[in-house]
Amino acid sequence: MRPFAYLVFDGERLTADAHAPGRRFRVDERCLGKPRAAGAYAHVCALPDRDAALRFDEPEVQQVRRDALQHWIPLLGADLVCLSTFVLDASRYGGAVTVARRPDRFADDPFARLFPGTVVETGIFAEVPPPPGPVIERYAGAPWPGGRFAG
Amino acid sequence: MDLGPGSSFPDLDLPDHTGRQRRLSELAGGDPLCLLTSRGWWCPKEQRYLREVARVQDEFEVAYARIVVVSIDPPEVQAAFRAGLGARFTFLSDAERRWLPRLGLAESTDTLHDPYRPAGFTLFPDLAVHRAYNGYWFWGRATMEELRQDMRAITRQIRSDWEVPAG
Repeated sequence: MRPFAYLVFDGERLTADAHAPGRRFRVDERCLGKPRAAGAYAHVCALPDRDAALRFDEPEVQQVRRDALQHWIPLLGADLVCLSTFVLDASRYGGAVTVARRPDRFADDPFARLFPGTVVETGIFAEVPPPPGPVIERYAGAPWPGGRFAG
Repeated sequence: MDLGPGSSFPDLDLPDHTGRQRRLSELAGGDPLCLLTSRGWWCPKEQRYLREVARVQDEFEVAYARIVVVSIDPPEVQAAFRAGLGARFTFLSDAERRWLPRLGLAESTDTLHDPYRPAGFTLFPDLAVHRAYNGYWFWGRATMEELRQDMRAITRQIRSDWEVPAG
C-alpha cells in the first residue's frame, strides 16, 4: 500500500476525490481512513496556486514541524483529530492540514506561518494518534508524520 | 521482571502528556527507542538530565529514533515540564502507579512521591532491550554518547540498507 492518500483543495472546499477540480496534495493516508470524525474542522494551510511550494528541507519547514511537536499538538489536546503535511512530490512541501473538533485554536497554528489557513467544516478525516516525536524526517517520501520503514 | 539486555520490555499502555492513551509499541513506530524512567519534575537531577536529552533530540529527530520518558507526574504536570525543557518527545504518565510495581523500578528511598527510580533502556522497535542503565546514582545514567552508540548499534541491525546499496 502506498504511504499516502490524495486530498484536493480548491481554496474553499476539501475532498478526498482525487479527480475533483482543485489542487491535489499527498497526505498521510491514515488521516483519510475510518472511522471518520463527523463535524470536525480542518485548518488548511495551503493555497490552490500550483506555484505555492517550498522544499521540505528548508529550515522554516523543519521548524514548523518542531513547533507542531513541541506546542501545537499539546495545545489542541483531546480536540486534535489528525494532522498531516501536504507533499507534492519527493522533495516539495505544499502546506499542511490540522483537523480538530473545535476551530478555536486555529489562530495559533504554526503551519499558517508558511501558507495562510482556511477553515473548512469537514467529515472526511479519521482520528490518528499524534506523532510521538522527536522525528521530523519523512519516511521514504511519505507525508510527515505518516509512513514508516518496512521490517 | 527481567529488564536486562535481550529481554522484552513490556508494551506499556499509559496516557501521554496530553492525556491521550498510548502504547509503547505504537510510540516506537518501527524505530529504535530510548526509554527513560524519571523521578519527576521536582528532582534537580531529572531537570539536569532531561535538559541534556532535550539537546540531543535534535539528532534523534533526523535519525529516525524515538525518545519516551515515563514518570508518575500527572499529564498536565508533564506537559508543563516538557514545555519548560523545550522537549519534542513523548512523556507517559503512570500517575496511578499501574506499571511502577510491575516493572520493579520503584524509588524506595523516596517515601514522599513514590516515584520511578531513574533508569534508561535502549530498545529495538519490537521493544527488545539492547542495553539497560541504572541511574540511581547520577553517574549511572546513559551519557548522550552512549545513547548515540546504542542507537547506532540498533539501527545497524534493523536497517537492511545500513551498508549503502550498490548503485
